[in-house]
Amino acid sequence: MSPTSPNRRRYRRTAGTTLALALPLAGLAACGGGSGQDTAASAGSGKGTISVWAHQGQKSEDTALQNAVTSFNSSQSRIKVELKLIPGDDYTKTITATDASKLPDVMEFDGPTMANFVYNKKLAAIDDYVSAKTMSNATDASKAQGEIDGKHYGLGMYDSGLGVYANKKLLDAAGVKYPKKATDSWTVAEFDKALKALKAKDSDGKVLDIQENNGLSNEWGTYGFSPIVWSAGGSLLKNGKAEGALDSASVVSALKTFQSWKSDVDPNTDGNAFAKGRVALSWVGHWMYPTYSKALGSDLVVLPLPDFGNGTKTGQGSWAWGIGADSKNGKAAGAFLDYLLNDTNVTAMTTANGAPPATKSALAESSLYKKGGPLERFADQLDKPCGDSDITTSCVAVTRPVTAGYPTVTAKFSEALNSIYGGADVKSALQKAARSIDQDFSDNDGYQIQ
Amino acid sequence: MTSVKPARAGRPRTRNRDWLHGLLMSTPAVAGLVAFVGIPFGYAVVLSFYNVRLGSPLAPRFFGLEQYRRLFTDPDLSGPFLRALLNNLTFAVVVVPLQTGLALGLAILLNRKLRAIGVFRSLFFMPVVFPMTLVAVIWRLILARSDQGLLNSALHAVTFGNWGAFDWLGDAATAMASVIVLSVWQGVGFQMVILLAGLQQIPGELYEAAELDRATRWQQFRHVTLPGIRGTLVFVAMLTSVLSFRVFDQVYVLIHGGGLDEDATRTVMYEAVTTAFDQNNIGQASAITVVFFLIVVALTIVQRRVVRPDNED
Amino acid sequence: MASTPMATTRAPRRRLRRFTDYAVLTVLAFVFVLPVLYLLLGSLKPSDQVLNGLSGFLPTHLTLANYAHVLDALNSDSTGYFWRFMGVSLLVAFVVVTGGLFVNSMAAYGMSRLKWRGREAVFTLVLLLMLVPFESVAVPLFYLFNDQRNTIYIQAVPFIANAFSIYQFHTFFRSIPPSIEEAARLDGAGPWRTFFAIVVPMSKPAFASVAILTFLTQWGSFLWPVLMVSDPSVRPLPLEMSVFQGQQPVDWGEILAFGVLLVLPVLVVFAFFQRWFVQGVASSAVKG
Repeated sequence: MSPTSPNRRRYRRTAGTTLALALPLAGLAACGGGSGQDTAASAGSGKGTISVWAHQGQKSEDTALQNAVTSFNSSQSRIKVELKLIPGDDYTKTITATDASKLPDVMEFDGPTMANFVYNKKLAAIDDYVSAKTMSNATDASKAQGEIDGKHYGLGMYDSGLGVYANKKLLDAAGVKYPKKATDSWTVAEFDKALKALKAKDSDGKVLDIQENNGLSNEWGTYGFSPIVWSAGGSLLKNGKAEGALDSASVVSALKTFQSWKSDVDPNTDGNAFAKGRVALSWVGHWMYPTYSKALGSDLVVLPLPDFGNGTKTGQGSWAWGIGADSKNGKAAGAFLDYLLNDTNVTAMTTANGAPPATKSALAESSLYKKGGPLERFADQLDKPCGDSDITTSCVAVTRPVTAGYPTVTAKFSEALNSIYGGADVKSALQKAARSIDQDFSDNDGYQIQ
Repeated sequence: MTSVKPARAGRPRTRNRDWLHGLLMSTPAVAGLVAFVGIPFGYAVVLSFYNVRLGSPLAPRFFGLEQYRRLFTDPDLSGPFLRALLNNLTFAVVVVPLQTGLALGLAILLNRKLRAIGVFRSLFFMPVVFPMTLVAVIWRLILARSDQGLLNSALHAVTFGNWGAFDWLGDAATAMASVIVLSVWQGVGFQMVILLAGLQQIPGELYEAAELDRATRWQQFRHVTLPGIRGTLVFVAMLTSVLSFRVFDQVYVLIHGGGLDEDATRTVMYEAVTTAFDQNNIGQASAITVVFFLIVVALTIVQRRVVRPDNED
Repeated sequence: MASTPMATTRAPRRRLRRFTDYAVLTVLAFVFVLPVLYLLLGSLKPSDQVLNGLSGFLPTHLTLANYAHVLDALNSDSTGYFWRFMGVSLLVAFVVVTGGLFVNSMAAYGMSRLKWRGREAVFTLVLLLMLVPFESVAVPLFYLFNDQRNTIYIQAVPFIANAFSIYQFHTFFRSIPPSIEEAARLDGAGPWRTFFAIVVPMSKPAFASVAILTFLTQWGSFLWPVLMVSDPSVRPLPLEMSVFQGQQPVDWGEILAFGVLLVLPVLVVFAFFQRWFVQGVASSAVKG
């Protein structure tokens, strides 16, 4: 029963040992009860100071958010917002580690982590606090991302999309043909051929950027490269199980192709590989558009990710805003969310980060994403959503698995991806990841949200 | 080294109340140690027998030895941990002799009455004051895998263009070596200062006598220097090995955004932290912690056994 | 250390040896200083000139703009203030160092000079706890003190009591001849007065060495803040360094400027206490 500390026998009489045993067990018992029974924040007076946490993103995004807060504070006198920016890399861990009672009134969260925060009772449903107008103006994709069992826990200012950015000048110089119609994408064989052709003309033989400087064993790995899995006809999780979905033969062969690209990839240590014209292709999200378009101007082409057999796929979902489960001022929190999701702020934010707006009115006005805009392609992709389970050939934008076990899924998948990129055996890496995900789900009773 | 022998502790002249004062004086620190090291450690032992998830609404469930089974024998889950153990061992086995040897060499070079010797000493010591997070960033630039990286472009120049870009951090073969190099660069000055202090305790007459005996420099080193600093050397080696088992900061920073090969460089502490904070798996992280501790203790005991016979006279 | 074959000619042998010593030292010093130089130069250059092959070393395009940008970028409630990050780091280090000197030296004295039942057991416990690296209790400690996140004291308090410091003081105190204290005790001084008035002033090197060691570890402290701190108003400098480094778009010049600012206070402390440090290390390590 009692744990044996290494020297217990000799120092049995020291007080420390007794304490060391008694205290933790009490702690365990205390934790067992679970904190914060209900996940409905109280409405409060709609006045006073509310705290807001947001992730620290690109510098321009931070500025847009800070401006929104400043203008909200000066536009009225009842509510004062105090904004804290928390590093993006640690943001999710921070929310996970922080007790619900210490969480702010309003907080941002990364889309796929929402289910986990609902499961952990850290988010309140926002339906009662956000105005009907805000709710109906949200795009369907945004509402779908924020919904569990008919309740909404978050809404985003923007969505996301992935693509391959290409440098027209370099493609033409190497004689590479690329799909011109918005509906077309390269097949993986064509993409491979393009890499080879570009390589022949390139001084260092590095022709592709996959944002390796961000590392792959993190959310970027999962977000950026799970489309390969989906496009190969697999998925991260099927009916709560990874085995058979993540490690199927077609996924293995698709990721073998991905592995073979390493020698063509620019390490991009300075983050400028594509903007400086060192590489002709950059596999990255919409967020690099402002930088790239500034650097390349009319030479910039946006293409869908290559098709591995099951149609081209992209990631979807992004940061969203919700209300802390223990907020004592839900009304004020809702008022701030209404303000944050108005056209001015959504447009300012999406101008800063180049993201597709997640509100209908802002999307219609967006110079980038409206019909005929340079990024219409991303908007189109988001218009063909797959959800997280029904991944057909014709749909494009796939939602990462909506499950409280997502942290494990992404940790294991990105770890496998990273080791594959580093040269590991693809099949065994994927099988291992799948089995560990399944083990974790069974440890947690399948992560059922009560 | 410090065996606690009551024999030396003075005359039986101590006053009666000394026990009270001794206890009072020791209490704050000991209480702090118990609260922030002892209890958490005991807690880790307890937690390692449970399935505990950070923030989970499920009550912790008793797991028996399952966490340990997974760490050591489960074909899917034990891989990273066993690799981390191996990496830690490799790191220690290379770094302890390398760093101690280099520190000794530097200390001997600096143990002269030369002009500006203080400047040199400060230069060698300087990296010690650099926080590991910063060291990792600097070396990330030096070892950058592109041909613009400092080391790559230096090799390119030296080999008259025959050296292409090499991925020092990302290649499994050189990842650990890179971590070792930057760690030694940062740490060696510290050991050097300690050894230098040891060298300065050796009476100069011993060297003069050796010189009269026409001893060569090597003989002087072998028969005067080494015996003179044996105690210090042992201390330094112990310190280095304890430190080398704690490797975490540089590995963490470089894997998260430095392109460092994760599998080749993950350490036990890295495993514990990522298990706890990326996967919220407190139970398993605690088990890693416990195993880690047992290994450190075992190694220390072995080391003491080895060292003691020569040290005691 | 291998003497050159040339050195066999007798008269200039000494000077030659001195010359080779300097040569070896200079080469080694250069290797050691290179990364530091790179840091310093990089911090003074525009970003695109930093990671630029060997020319990253050429002192061209020098400017202080990076420093201005760092201070400028970290200057609001939501991002935190640069000087505040530094203040937090300094405060935490100060509390840990002074608190640690006080508490640990006292304990070491109590265990080395005063006799009481169980002190051997307690000291052995301290030696055992010395083997427990902080990293190995980080996980449970984090779990235990989870509700104390984002405070300054949780960054400092766990590190005040330090087994290694106790051990260092213990070793030092044992090297002091007991006769001095015995004389004081015979004159009627109690153990507290003996300690504070006699022993402490005699032990400056030990205090200096422990202080510097503690300060160095504390200043670079990273793991614990990563786990416990997210609020920019109580964030320490090294943590902010990793945050700042992770911000897109990457600006190496600014990151290196941040690095220089991060290391500067330690360099100052080091320059100031260098002599004490060597002495202190000598007395606690060599006589161990």
